[in-house]
Amino acid sequence: MDIQNTQSQMRKGVLEFCILSIIQQGEVYPSDIVEKMKLANLHILEGTLYPLLTRLKNAGLLNYRWVESISGPPRKYFVMTDEGNAAYNVLLKTWNEMADAVQLITNNANNINTLKADQAL
Amino acid sequence: MKKVININFQGRILPIEEFAYEILKKYIDSLRDYFKNEEGCDEIINDIECRIAELCDDRLKKGAPCITQVDINLIITSIGRPADFEAQDGFEASSSSNTYSTEDTMGGNYYDNESSDKQQTKKLYRDEHNKVLGGVCSGIANYFNLDPLLVRILWIFLIGVNILGYLILWIAVPSTSVKEVGGVRKRLFRDIENKLIGGVCAGLAKYFSIQVWILRILFLIPFIRFVVNFRHLHLWQFWDAPDFPNLLDITFSPGAVFVYIVLWLVLPEAKTSADKLQMVGEKVDLNSIKNTIQTDLEGFGTRAKSWGSAQRSARREESSNHPNENKDDNASNNNKSENKGCFHFVGNILTILIKAFVYFILGILIISLLAALFGLGVAGTSLLPLRKFILEDGLQNWYMIGAIILFIWVPVIGIVTAVVRKLAGFKKANTLIRSSFWALWILGWVCIFLFFSSLSKSFSKHNIPVEKTVALANAKLNFLTVTSEPKMKYYEDHWFDITPFEKFTDEDTFYVRNLRIRITQSKTDSFEVKIIKLSNGSTKEEANKLANNINFNIIQKDSILFLDRGIGINKQDKFRNQHVIMTIAVPIGKRIKITKKGWQQFNMNVNGHGFRTERIDDIGFGNDPWDGEWKNSYDDESFSYERGVEYLMTASGLEKIGRMDLDNEVGQDDDTSDIEQQLKELKEERQKLEGDLKKSRSEKMKELEKIDRALEQKSNDQKDKKAVTNNTSVIPNLNNVSKVASKFGDLQWVMERFAY
Repeated sequence: MDIQNTQSQMRKGVLEFCILSIIQQGEVYPSDIVEKMKLANLHILEGTLYPLLTRLKNAGLLNYRWVESISGPPRKYFVMTDEGNAAYNVLLKTWNEMADAVQLITNNANNINTLKADQAL
Repeated sequence: MKKVININFQGRILPIEEFAYEILKKYIDSLRDYFKNEEGCDEIINDIECRIAELCDDRLKKGAPCITQVDINLIITSIGRPADFEAQDGFEASSSSNTYSTEDTMGGNYYDNESSDKQQTKKLYRDEHNKVLGGVCSGIANYFNLDPLLVRILWIFLIGVNILGYLILWIAVPSTSVKEVGGVRKRLFRDIENKLIGGVCAGLAKYFSIQVWILRILFLIPFIRFVVNFRHLHLWQFWDAPDFPNLLDITFSPGAVFVYIVLWLVLPEAKTSADKLQMVGEKVDLNSIKNTIQTDLEGFGTRAKSWGSAQRSARREESSNHPNENKDDNASNNNKSENKGCFHFVGNILTILIKAFVYFILGILIISLLAALFGLGVAGTSLLPLRKFILEDGLQNWYMIGAIILFIWVPVIGIVTAVVRKLAGFKKANTLIRSSFWALWILGWVCIFLFFSSLSKSFSKHNIPVEKTVALANAKLNFLTVTSEPKMKYYEDHWFDITPFEKFTDEDTFYVRNLRIRITQSKTDSFEVKIIKLSNGSTKEEANKLANNINFNIIQKDSILFLDRGIGINKQDKFRNQHVIMTIAVPIGKRIKITKKGWQQFNMNVNGHGFRTERIDDIGFGNDPWDGEWKNSYDDESFSYERGVEYLMTASGLEKIGRMDLDNEVGQDDDTSDIEQQLKELKEERQKLEGDLKKSRSEKMKELEKIDRALEQKSNDQKDKKAVTNNTSVIPNLNNVSKVASKFGDLQWVMERFAY
């Protein structure tokens, strides 16, 4: 089994979901997304973030707004669209279900393992 | 001292070091290349540029006078290089790059996970710090963990004057300075996506932005030469005239295969899309090549000198210190993984070498096969004008044409197109074309089968032989010379010789010389000549008719008997293995000679023992049982004579009375090879016999000694008896001696003849 591939498959959906979640909390500047993710110990390069945001924007989930900055030209801030919110809610529901399911299964497995260990003792 | 320039970057004026600017520019170019297939590429680049500009601005606000190389590198690391995007778990979900990243991880197993970063960094670079010329050799040495000196020596020994490989590597492999900078300079990779063997040519083509097939042909030239140079292929013998261009010879010929293998070993595969990007990279033109070489060559002389002295001092150091102590901690830490890599690497080399060998053999096989088929095709096609003399009208013709086109030319064309397609880098063969080629070839098999079956049917029956006596003008001669007709006529040399077309076009007859002459003893006191005409045919009647149609004239002038030079075959009668057996009965006490003159082109097999057997009808279809019957009914003796030698008929048979009369003959040359062959055979036989003799002699001597010893212990009477038996055992020895002596005589005679 290709562990790396599975890992990447796992992270891929989750990261997208996380980014949507951050934007859903309010208007945000891309580098702030990186910072917030970093706080949660999820590392993402800006070089990969920008294409993703562009894709999501093109899909109609996001919109952006030019915000004047104190110095230099205006910055691009991203914000959720209604469509994006709907999509986020669907994803959130899915995530919760999945997290529960995974929790349940892994817990079961853990329990069985500990049981086995106990029996062995 | 660094030059600082001002740039307008996304609406901000940035003072930036010139070198840092170069890096930035290349970085953005690499991003643009990376995202070029992405929807909204410009937007992404724009966003990133904005962000970079912002970061630069921050930096300046903190009081930096200008943007330095360090700043740019920091920014680049924070945003990430294309290679880093790959490492980011295929996050950017672009379908194409995603497949690459999975491909990347396919080979690696679970444990490689941690060390994958280290392995990825192992790339071939030219070593700036230890270079003599361009740093290629030291770079290779670093790559393989070898002493650069060893690599240099090997390079010179194995590749010699072949500078081409060096140049390619020099230009294409980045120097270590590039590694430090982290630029996006074009690099040479093996292009595994478009590979044929190892992807070397494809990678080179990508690098120089030329068509793949050009490079493949360049690498193939010495290969083709290699095959062509084997002159045993008859077909190539006419290919004597202009040789391949000498220039190509010098640069490519000796080492092309070797260069290929080296490149195969040394060049990394372009796995990630970042690699692919670097593979195509910026344009390499003459200018950039010149620049590379020029800058590298600066201070070559001093470098060479210092390298020499450094090498010497290094030797001294190494001999005094334990080599392990020289290594720093870092290296020893890496030792384990290096060892592992090393094993992996040796395996790689082995597989590559084996692969190269297999491809080499395969290449030779294909080229030879092609040459053979081509030759057959040419032969078959050039024989086409002859077909009217052999083939019946109608189907048989079509069978033959079908066989030649479908069975021979179709595979030739098929193989050639397949090879060309491969070289040109077409990935998928057109299944329709391929299957139709196969179908046509199978049809060719059918044709060939039908052709031979119908042809053999045409030859299946034979006529009823009738022996006719030929009246001689003067039969009471003492000496009869048999020779062929003096007048000149066109005769076909040999059945399956390839002869140019024009010789046939105005001929409606051609001649086969299916003739055997046998000499027997006459019961009367006059010469007698008898002829049997034989022919095959599809029916007995046809065979009889054809045999009757054979027109073979024998004319006597004085003591000379002139024979026709061949049996005429015309388009109506066709060739059905018409042949003639001629019997000359010689009275006892009379002499006969069959000249060599004019017979040169007759089929004649020579055996090396003084007597020769005339076997004219061996070619073609002479092996039918009936023919054998006739052959058997004559004793072989009557065919055993030598041409150009006078014979006397005695009561016990023919007797040679004259040596070869060495009349000046046309085509004596033909015979010399025969004689040479004969000479060789005789020599070999003699040596063998001598060897046998020595062996058996020493054996016998031992035996004798043994017996002597045994005899000494026995009584005198018995001794005598044994001695007699001893004598008999020596006799075969003596026989051998006489045999050798006679052989020697033969040899001398042949030598004489040859000397003439």
